[in-house]
Amino acid sequence: MAKKNVSVWTSIPFWRRSAAWVTGFAVILLIWLSFDTLGQISMGTDEDLKAGTTKRVPAPTVINYKITYEMNKQRGSEIPIIGGKDANGTSSFEEKELFFGKEWTEEEAADLLHLGKLTSQAKNCMNCHTLLGNGAYFAPDLTKSWLDPAWDTKGVMVSMISSMLPSKLVERIEAGKAVSDEDNQLIKDMKIDIANGKMLTKEEAMAIFLRFPSSYPTHERMMPELAITADEAKGLVAFLKHMSSIDTNGFPRNFSKSVDQFKVGGSNAR
Amino acid sequence: MFFEPFTDVIPSFFGWLNQGPLTLTIFLHTVIILPMFWIYKQEKANLNK
Repeated sequence: MAKKNVSVWTSIPFWRRSAAWVTGFAVILLIWLSFDTLGQISMGTDEDLKAGTTKRVPAPTVINYKITYEMNKQRGSEIPIIGGKDANGTSSFEEKELFFGKEWTEEEAADLLHLGKLTSQAKNCMNCHTLLGNGAYFAPDLTKSWLDPAWDTKGVMVSMISSMLPSKLVERIEAGKAVSDEDNQLIKDMKIDIANGKMLTKEEAMAIFLRFPSSYPTHERMMPELAITADEAKGLVAFLKHMSSIDTNGFPRNFSKSVDQFKVGGSNAR
Repeated sequence: MFFEPFTDVIPSFFGWLNQGPLTLTIFLHTVIILPMFWIYKQEKANLNK
């Protein structure tokens, strides 16, 4: 057969078959990826934590553990270290710490985290903040906010909140407006703590800040008062602590770099 | 070392493919483009008939 001068590039069946192949392959690939992702993002259990099994998303009881964030050379990014580091530079799940003065059971921790998640949605945190890559950059990224040195035991935020009553609440009490017994108690306790020079814990300071952000102005863009209740604030702090323990492949990038910058006196607020 | 030990948290095929820069992209493009040569040759044969 003599070779005819034909062009495949103008052949409609060629393009039809190519398009069908690429589309079909992509569909199968995306379905496969969806199921593959389920394994990556499904939450671990309390047994995993006790057995020392690293999960990308640990169980809610991770709030009972000390969490740090360290560079892992092998992974090429920072990874959350839960309960102290072992010889391999990964989580040892040994060091615990009290959260709001107690150790939370599986059910309590799950309920608290659920309340925090619902509150974060109800108050629309993502309108200004970023959570796990979703949201805005009008306000600081909250993905690893629990690990922010400003909230360390002697960090600026904890020091400030430990030494200043929430002015909004004090104004309300002085104006004779009704406040809950819990809030009255909070002011009384804080006055005693301030007189004794006692520092709040990180979670207590965070909870007070979340309820009365405008009493502690730290930024040009001040966080608004969102009428968050004391319980909701606890839930939010648990939500933030849990989020910081999620392995995000090093997102947000260069978190520790900005921590170093912060420690030498630089500011992340621009 | 050409092959590095797997370092992702949860072992997965895509995690394994994605260990180096562009490895996943190069693999997927190769897998998608190669059968198109076969489609091309078949269509060429058809047109020649």
